[in-house]
Amino acid sequence: MNKFFYPKLALVNLKKNGNTYIPYILTCIGSIMAFYTMVSIHSNKGLDQMPGSTNLKFILFLGIIVIGIFAVIFLFYTNSFLIKRRKKELGLYSILGLEKKHIARVLFYETVFVTIISLSLGLIGGILIGKLLFLLLLNIVHFKSPLSFHIDYWGLLITTGVFLAIFSLTLVTNFLQVKISNPIDLLKGGQHGEKEPKSSWIVTLIGIISLGTGYGIALSVETPLEALLLFFVAVVFVIIGTYALFISGSITLLKQLKKNKKFYYQSRNFISVSGMIYRMKQNAVGLANICILSTMVLVTLSTTVSLYIGQEGMRRDFYPWDVSIMGEAANTDFAAVKAIVELEKEKLNVRSGDEISFDLAHFRAFQEGSHFLKDMVEDESTDTMYYERVSNMTLIPLDDYNRLTGGNKSLAENEMLIFSVGDNYEEQTLVFGDDQYLITEQLEAIPMDFKKTQDMGHTYYLIVKDDAVMETIYQTMKNDDDPQTTLHALMFNLEGDEEILNAFSANMRAAVLQSNPDINIQNLYEALTELYFFFGGFLFLGVFLGSLFMMATVLIIYFKQISEGYEDSERFVIMQKVGMDKTEVKKTISKQILMVFFLPLAGAIIHVAFAFPVITKMLAAFRLTNIPLIFLCTLVGVVVYALVYTGVYLLTARSYYKMIH
Amino acid sequence: MRLLEVKNLKKIYTTRFGGNQVQALSNVSFSVEQGEYVAIMGESGSGKTTLLNILASLDKPTSGEVFLDGKNIVTIKDSEISAFRRDNLGFVFQDFNLLDTFSIQDNIFLPLVLAQKSYEEMNSRIKHLSQRLEIQELLQKFPYEVSGGQKQRAAVARALITQPKLVLADEPTGALDSKAAMNLLKIFSTINDLGQTILMVTHSVAAASHANRVLFIKDGEIYNQIYRGSMSNDDMYQKISFTLSVLASGGEELE
Ligand SMILES: Nc1ncnc2c1ncn2[C@@H]1O[C@H](COP(=O)(O)OP(=O)(O)OP(=O)(O)O)[C@@H](O)[C@H]1O
Ligand SMILES: [Mg+2]
Repeated sequence: MNKFFYPKLALVNLKKNGNTYIPYILTCIGSIMAFYTMVSIHSNKGLDQMPGSTNLKFILFLGIIVIGIFAVIFLFYTNSFLIKRRKKELGLYSILGLEKKHIARVLFYETVFVTIISLSLGLIGGILIGKLLFLLLLNIVHFKSPLSFHIDYWGLLITTGVFLAIFSLTLVTNFLQVKISNPIDLLKGGQHGEKEPKSSWIVTLIGIISLGTGYGIALSVETPLEALLLFFVAVVFVIIGTYALFISGSITLLKQLKKNKKFYYQSRNFISVSGMIYRMKQNAVGLANICILSTMVLVTLSTTVSLYIGQEGMRRDFYPWDVSIMGEAANTDFAAVKAIVELEKEKLNVRSGDEISFDLAHFRAFQEGSHFLKDMVEDESTDTMYYERVSNMTLIPLDDYNRLTGGNKSLAENEMLIFSVGDNYEEQTLVFGDDQYLITEQLEAIPMDFKKTQDMGHTYYLIVKDDAVMETIYQTMKNDDDPQTTLHALMFNLEGDEEILNAFSANMRAAVLQSNPDINIQNLYEALTELYFFFGGFLFLGVFLGSLFMMATVLIIYFKQISEGYEDSERFVIMQKVGMDKTEVKKTISKQILMVFFLPLAGAIIHVAFAFPVITKMLAAFRLTNIPLIFLCTLVGVVVYALVYTGVYLLTARSYYKMIH
Repeated sequence: MRLLEVKNLKKIYTTRFGGNQVQALSNVSFSVEQGEYVAIMGESGSGKTTLLNILASLDKPTSGEVFLDGKNIVTIKDSEISAFRRDNLGFVFQDFNLLDTFSIQDNIFLPLVLAQKSYEEMNSRIKHLSQRLEIQELLQKFPYEVSGGQKQRAAVARALITQPKLVLADEPTGALDSKAAMNLLKIFSTINDLGQTILMVTHSVAAASHANRVLFIKDGEIYNQIYRGSMSNDDMYQKISFTLSVLASGGEELE
């Protein structure tokens, strides 16, 4: 035989199966592009030099892993779909006298062509679109100075390696498919789906229990910490439940309907029920995939968008004052520090807003009723216990408090005022070591901080009689790595253009640290960069993965429509011949398709509804507590997604109906 | 009693772009009496399927009339046509046309379900019928699990279960081996003996030789017909073969 025979045959096959292979190749190209883009952005050198890029890089790394796993699963799924549809054709070759090893050779060349086309186009596409997405990322994280973006040769190599491995694996599974089947099986391959599906009560039960457990966890989570820990457990349960219910639950239910003769033998139900059984059998896995992918798209998009939009509100929680400078009261010349700050302000012409300065002592303690301990009781040191008891304590002398508030309160040696950032302090007294203090007043406001919903531990500000009391308590409670003496703080707000403030912040930090390296400076503007990086990175990844999952959904839907179009057209004709109305047939068929299509979307929306409480709790861990905002983001996400989904449905339904007529 | 009357039937297919016109039927007239078993023969492309489709109200003639039991089916409204077909006609097709989503039993029930009969009635009807067609054992199976001959018997059961006035069959033995074909023809003869009117298109001389009467179509017209009278199946066979050979040689008018 001509040595070009097999490659030629392979090319002909790909062309002949174009309506399924072109979407498959597009998927491959899309996955390769996505993978390479992530890898190349992750390894961009310029990114390393940005402050706070570690978090961003970690997020991007997560993205690479997710895309990799996704590519493996998804390409396997589409490949198995393709080879199933082609079994008849392969059986025909075998009957026409091609041996199995020859068929394998044809399959080999097909894979080679698919690989060459996908890898070359995917990598070129990745190089082109990578730059664009990189600029988008920089924009999202508010990074202004331009960074260069080069072709990443390592990235090219890694991507090529990963996808060569995936393609080889699909090829091996195809070989196995051919090897284990005889020609008759291959010929009938397309018809295996027509068997009456088996359903199992056990699997259905497992599905119900898993889903119930997942939902139960989601609803019963109370603290952000639990939410973070249990979210993935709940996700796993829900995924198991979804697959089990789509695969077995749906059919068990339909079969139950079928057993009810009075119901089943009604002209409307008769065709719907048996049609649905048949469809669910063929599509259960695909539909469950769509349902889970859709849920993932919705959850990722709504959380990342909420975080990104909500961060403006969140940052004040972290930083009540724009700038706060703290140093050990005894060894720091605050007049000098203040002079440096003023000098830097003048240089850039920065105006400042309010300003406060005061003495303080700061330490961490564990609350047990009214007792505050240095360490946790050993046998209770579980994570949840820890986060319930850990308390941030700040001591402030009364005269500083009176000065800042213009008040005129007085305290005895063993008396205190308390301000709790979260819920009010519930005890009457407060005990450090052997000393008990009486709370004389719960303050409603304090100049250094403000009330907010607290989710992990407590934050207390205690106003004590004088420096001496403060010193006593501090020496009792401080840990080894805390500063030796009490502190002095200078806090102020800034006004002006964000870019100038950024520059000022950096200059000031450098100048102050140069004069005294032990000083601690916290700055909203520097922190903002980090927040932008963090949440911006999340948003970028969310949108990126969201689009990828969306593409997968579209493709699964398309394949479904194609594979059903052919079979349904035959059924359509037969039903007319035995006396069913044309319009009636149309109605039943479109009703079935609608059900099959919108079942996963409905499932996804229910999943999201149950996930909502956990999501809000999880976001609370990032200090996003604006529930109306999260709700709005989720709602908009669901509506937009439903519209896109419907659009895809209408488009593919058109090609489906074309097949039927 | 005259069950079916076909008058001056004409059918011209116009291709989509209006270009070519194919005259499938030029002028067909004949009638079928209640209880008759009529076979229609003719070369490939002579218009047999076209004729059957018009009789089945699946297609409209270009001109002409078809009366079934005195009712003109050409002028039936589109909205009533499915119900009419369901109530009056039974079909048997060459490729069985069973739905793979239904069990054999549900396939047979399909027309009754569409006619909104009660389950009890369907059940009592199928009992009798499945016994006669020897498919009781197969009722719970699915089409892909049974042989071609069995599928065709199921299709016959589906055609008969509505107790139609007329059974139309388009090459019902076409996809069967000779043994299964003989079996089916025997069944047709039996139900005909019980009074069922049958109109069957066939290429098979053996199949046609079971009928009471054979119509020959050539170039879209009835060219000739043979009545069985008192002839045996073998005599019928001879006569049909002869007529076909004359037909094939482009022959001049017979008789
Ligand atoms: N839908 C159609 N559109 C155009 N021409 C058609 C159509 N259906 C049939 N014809 C033409 O009408 C003529 C008669 O076709 P018909 O199918 O009735 O033949 P037949 O006798 O059933 O043939 P066979 O024995 O091969 O089944 C043929 O020339 C055919 O090409
Ligand atoms: Mg025909």
